[in-house]
Amino acid sequence: MVRAALQTQGRLNRGPRPGVMVIPAASVVAMSALAILPVVTRIGAWPDFGFLMLLAWRLLRADAWPAWWAAPLGFVNDLLTGAPIGLSVTLWTAVMLAMDLVDRRTQWRDYWIEWALAAALILAAEALEWKVAAWSGARVPFLHMLPSIVISILAFPLFAFMASRLDRWRLGQ
Amino acid sequence: MAAPVVGPRPGWSRRAQYSLFFGFLAAVAGLIVGLFMLVLSLVAPSSYAAVRGAALDVTSPITGALSEVGATASGLVGGAGDYWDAASQNGKLKRERAALRRHLIRAQAILQENRQLKAALNLREHSQESVAAGRIVGSSFESPRRFAVLSVGRSDGVEPGMPVRTADGLVGRVVEAGRIASRVLLVSDRSNIVPARILRGGIPVISTGRGDGTVDIRPLEVGRNPFRRGDIIITSGTGGLYPPLVPIARVVRHDDDGALGLPIADPSQASFAIVERPFEPEALAVAAGSELQR
Repeated sequence: MVRAALQTQGRLNRGPRPGVMVIPAASVVAMSALAILPVVTRIGAWPDFGFLMLLAWRLLRADAWPAWWAAPLGFVNDLLTGAPIGLSVTLWTAVMLAMDLVDRRTQWRDYWIEWALAAALILAAEALEWKVAAWSGARVPFLHMLPSIVISILAFPLFAFMASRLDRWRLGQ
Repeated sequence: MAAPVVGPRPGWSRRAQYSLFFGFLAAVAGLIVGLFMLVLSLVAPSSYAAVRGAALDVTSPITGALSEVGATASGLVGGAGDYWDAASQNGKLKRERAALRRHLIRAQAILQENRQLKAALNLREHSQESVAAGRIVGSSFESPRRFAVLSVGRSDGVEPGMPVRTADGLVGRVVEAGRIASRVLLVSDRSNIVPARILRGGIPVISTGRGDGTVDIRPLEVGRNPFRRGDIIITSGTGGLYPPLVPIARVVRHDDDGALGLPIADPSQASFAIVERPFEPEALAVAAGSELQR
């Protein structure tokens, strides 16, 4: 009995996991890497997994990673998804800076405000992607982006849940 | 929910204040670099050819292996389904085969006659040899653009600008080539414009992708809408990039002055895609030039 009490499996002596600083960024890269799944579709209405994960982490906590990490993370996302290089770099860094502003302006946030905020950022992101596609010669009607936007907004709570569970796991709580 | 974690509060620590400030500066720098990269990839996409090709090479083997697993799984399910109602299917297939054989004999006769006529006219026949055959392993399922990833690359002789087809019809053209994989611009992408004509009657038309898996087909001459439902659209070979007489799409619906078509070669169904040389070799240089403006 005494021996069992000395073991460290209880609630004592539990600290952050090793690599606690890189786990959020690694999860974003893992989500970006979903783009290499062998999915061949006629329409591109799937959400941008990496972006949703980045958004979920940033809304969960401001210190998941230094703001400038968004640039290299976005570069990796561009390479993996085949988007024009620089699109995610710009977009993701802009989201980090915009969220810094939002954090200064808001006194409190609840679940619904967070979802609305995510929805607004997803809308902005899809609009930018649409505009960049138009500049590079593929001028599709904005209506075609609607399924993608709706699916992304509906999928966001799932990513928020994943981020919060991952956060608790990495901090050993 | 509790109040949000508003970042690391620097407090009175000068060091913490500085590190936060420099982090902000680095983020702004990242934003500027990102904008620069984005403008560069819009103005001169070919400047990233090497790095994008390398990324394709790294990711496509994983995609390929995963798609093998997927194909095996769906093959098992589909194979089991084929045994269902096999007897009546068998009878139907036999009837179809008899009908097709009659068509085939007629087609062979026409082919022979055609060859004799061409010989009489001394027409030079373009030999349409294939460069490589690969599998379509992935696609851009997260963006409004329509790209597919093909499992052959520069080491197989694939170059940007080469047309890609399946046995059924046209898939698109290569826009980026890595060493062992390449990215294909599908005919359903908005920026892919294919000179074509209607198989019935040979009226010249233009096929443009719509970004949602269908193509928009418009006649070159304004006037009466020449399309009928079920019309087959084939490439005309104009421009020299795509070989002529390759089926592109089937007309499914009338539009105001054109029609809506469904591509005949479905990249998600086709097991193999063939990369061919451009119909006119000179078109490759022109295509490389137009990729710059893409």
